[in-house]
Amino acid sequence: MAKKLMKGNEAIGEAAIAAGAPHYFAYPITPQSEVAEYLCWRIPEVGGVFVQAESEVAVGNMLFGAAATGMRVFTTSSSPGISLMQEAISYMAGAQLPVVLVNIMRGGPGLGGILPAQSDYNQAVKGGGHGDYKTIVLAPASVQEAVDLMILGFDLADKYRNPVMLIGDGMIGQMMESVEFPEKYRDPVSPEGKDWALTGAKGRKARITKSLFLDPEKLEINSIELDRKYKRVEAEEIRFEKYKVSNKNKILIVAYGSMARICQTVIDELEEEGISVGLFRPITLYPFPGQAIHIEAVKANIKTVLVVEMSMGQMIEDVDRYLKGKKPIEFYGRTGGIVPSPNEVKDKIRTILKSKKAESK
Amino acid sequence: MAGSAQWRYPAFSRSIIVIVGGFGSGKTEVAVNLAKFMKANGHEEISLVDLDLVNPYFRTREAKGELKELGIDLIAPEGGKFYADLPILLPQVRSLVESPEGLLILDVGGDEQGTKALGSISDIFKDGEYDMLMVLNSRRPQTSTVEATLATMNRVEGTSRLKFTGLISNTHMIEETDAGIVMEGYNLSTEISEKTGLPLAFVSAKGKVLESLNMNEIGCPVLPLTRSLLKPWERKENTA
Repeated sequence: MAKKLMKGNEAIGEAAIAAGAPHYFAYPITPQSEVAEYLCWRIPEVGGVFVQAESEVAVGNMLFGAAATGMRVFTTSSSPGISLMQEAISYMAGAQLPVVLVNIMRGGPGLGGILPAQSDYNQAVKGGGHGDYKTIVLAPASVQEAVDLMILGFDLADKYRNPVMLIGDGMIGQMMESVEFPEKYRDPVSPEGKDWALTGAKGRKARITKSLFLDPEKLEINSIELDRKYKRVEAEEIRFEKYKVSNKNKILIVAYGSMARICQTVIDELEEEGISVGLFRPITLYPFPGQAIHIEAVKANIKTVLVVEMSMGQMIEDVDRYLKGKKPIEFYGRTGGIVPSPNEVKDKIRTILKSKKAESK
Repeated sequence: MAGSAQWRYPAFSRSIIVIVGGFGSGKTEVAVNLAKFMKANGHEEISLVDLDLVNPYFRTREAKGELKELGIDLIAPEGGKFYADLPILLPQVRSLVESPEGLLILDVGGDEQGTKALGSISDIFKDGEYDMLMVLNSRRPQTSTVEATLATMNRVEGTSRLKFTGLISNTHMIEETDAGIVMEGYNLSTEISEKTGLPLAFVSAKGKVLESLNMNEIGCPVLPLTRSLLKPWERKENTA
């Protein structure tokens, strides 16, 4: 298929169609409203369902009901809207329902602003809603990767019967890039073969989809089952990418999403100055590639690990958790919708190297 | 600029140029570059109005610093509203259209939704005193075929209550644009021009790409572009 020029938000909508998931429930919010704008004409072409709900709370509950039918369903929103959906996300995790949620993040807390941010990391990765559950979290760094991870996201949601969240800072939704879709689109995925889906009980035993277990023994069993599932996710689904990681690196940057793209520019430009820096980019934020970061970070050539985020520092806690104090960790971040420039990150690296030099004297 | 000796550049006799295009058309790059080009070619007083009421990012107002340095007046909301995606039509736009000082360029984003604001002041535009140009990118769905483009232009004329006077062929894939892509768009624009009777005001593309074209195949002026609205990891190209 010929390459197209698309805004990230449009491409995310088209990717769901390609994944056989033309069933969409949403409420508009900047900076992701173009997904709904795109899908309001695109979904009727493929015979799916698009309901614009009266609020994000309603979206969450519509997703719960629709996911229970075994069809592939999804929503897109931005930070405050995702907060409103947390109750339903916890319910869907508890009831083991597959669903894909997209958060095109803006600055917070509260209503915040409409410019790009990565300050919903903790919300996405550490639960967001209540109870012992996890959401699989995917973080694209380009429009093409947003498409690929959307399609993967639906597969993971079905495979593990669990909510999957794709998070991108506002830039991922708003920027234009060339993008390619699969030659063959999946037919809208049917509930066939899903022995839990509510498809009408005629001629068979009724099925129940619920997250309410009043008997504590049963509730504990449900949480243990979920935990076993998450152990499998952690063993099988970790994804990451390394950029110019070598035994010449003095510093290892850990960054995801758009922030990683900025760090690539930093690394290319510092390379020309003879300063060697590598980038470790987590693609799955849960499961977190902490072991793989550990392996790179403890190598003798690495003086410092630098975590760069568009937040006051959230992912850094996970990096810290895996490094267990074995390497110094530094942080650079901007927030509120301010995107760090390559020069700011370069200055931070120069400062770190200068202080290392002073230390070794 | 190498190879530019035989190029024909755009010229306008009217003092108001309205540039219309959906997202991805490249309308904002075209508007900013046209303002810079006109400034460098004898138009002392230029006002560029950011009338993009639809897109939250990548708007003309982001070229504010660059325009100021060049002495081009940017008309856009200020303070917190600078960052808002609200339908703000500044009061001075009306007076500027009524009595333009120098050249007035309006950058109107968002197809028929975005041109609603323009419609609310359409009464002060006088036929024959303004140009309204549609920016065409054949790699975007709303302008990918003759039919789709005509439908889009029709809707824009409906909401803006103004008439198009010309076309701009700006087919691109951002950094992946090559001569083939520009010519593919040029050929479609020519077809649209024949269908509508509207002239092609110019073909625009990055200077390097224009240099690789056979100018004998281009029957209209060209405008070389330098990108102003960059992604945070992109660097300004060296234009020296």
